Amino acid sequence: MAGSVVFNSLIVMSFIIAGLLAIVPMPEWAIYFRPEWVALVVVYWVINNPERVGIGIAWMVGIMVDALTGSLFGLHALGLALVAWLALRLRLRLRLFSVSRQASVVLVIVGLQLLLSQWLQFLFDLPRGTNMMFLAPAVTSALFWPLVWLLVGGTIRSLDLK
Amino acid sequence: MAADKRFGYMEQARQALGLVATPFFWLADTPARVGNSLGEIFVSRTELLDENARLREELMLSRQRLLLAESLTVENNRLLALQDASALFEQEVLTAEIINVSPDPYTRRILINKGGRDGVFEGQAVLEANGLMGQVLQVMPFSSWVLLITDVNHVTPVEVSRNGERALARGGQDGDTELDLEFVIPTQDIEVGDTLISSGMGQVYPKNYPVAEVISVHRSPVQPYATIKARPMAQVGSTRHVMLVLAATVQDVPALADGTEGGADEESTLAAIESAN
Repeated sequence: MAGSVVFNSLIVMSFIIAGLLAIVPMPEWAIYFRPEWVALVVVYWVINNPERVGIGIAWMVGIMVDALTGSLFGLHALGLALVAWLALRLRLRLRLFSVSRQASVVLVIVGLQLLLSQWLQFLFDLPRGTNMMFLAPAVTSALFWPLVWLLVGGTIRSLDLK
Repeated sequence: MAADKRFGYMEQARQALGLVATPFFWLADTPARVGNSLGEIFVSRTELLDENARLREELMLSRQRLLLAESLTVENNRLLALQDASALFEQEVLTAEIINVSPDPYTRRILINKGGRDGVFEGQAVLEANGLMGQVLQVMPFSSWVLLITDVNHVTPVEVSRNGERALARGGQDGDTELDLEFVIPTQDIEVGDTLISSGMGQVYPKNYPVAEVISVHRSPVQPYATIKARPMAQVGSTRHVMLVLAATVQDVPALADGTEGGADEESTLAAIESAN
């Protein structure tokens, strides 16, 4: 029981850190390449602990991200729910993949999330990019996936959970 | 869900979540704040003395200009009173600090550390030492989002300080930091180097604040409008302090006083009226 409390607080902590990384100010050139940290953490937990983090949690985290970034309510919520759903569908296969192959799937998942938010931004006439640069975060997300995998996995192992 | 936001049903939830988000904003700002205070700690005595001298000199110069400006204001108000026009008076300001920048590269917004508790209201004009910066978009209890004039969905009604030619300055596409002047017919007298000041139309911004400087003008015989680019005076990247205009100012365009909120749409209608004349 105590282990479960620690585990849940670890999940909450990971989302808090990802949320902070999502809003921390960055230099002008880097802002186009900011990885979708929250999506990466959602994918991690959905693959490894689908009984704790699912589409519902992803949705609520998304609402929180919307509040943090001041974006339209539901934009990130819908995007992260899509991410969670895709990761749920693919999770049995993803667990057998090497980290680099997982990264390529993450590229597609985050890319679809960005595409969905691009569509929604078009639908609601919000400011958006007019070229393909809006997909750049998918590439950086895939590059940072191994880091997330090792960092969160390492923390779980060092805390001797599960 | 997303449509809810359109009609403002989510305002309560937004307020509550804004409250929860406050510590996040504070934490995310920490690196910048620590950097700043470190910069303040590791500064040499001579540097401080130099800065002090420079600031003193600046203060003296500003005082001298202020004296001149005061007499001009009085004179101006008297002349305007003669013409039966309601004049622009002095404005009270509230200072605030920028604590975050919107993570979305395609929209230009900043987060400031004053919110509903400090009397910030939606549509309030935000200034910086060099010029107009934007308007308050969303008020949360302890912080608020400010939409900058460089946002693609933001239009600022401006006029050329040299001759009073009016135009609309829209933020650039794809996170560009320059402004595009819209609906300027080729015969209008706008040139490179002209200073654009706020015209006070649309009732959002106070009149006569510097907005931008024209950096390029292209007139083509095949295009109905000239292509004009302007660089905003307000430097978002290099400052942390902004001013919020407190008093709702009296404008001297009573005929257009219907709209309370000067969104982009209303301003484009204004432009349509103008260009038709």
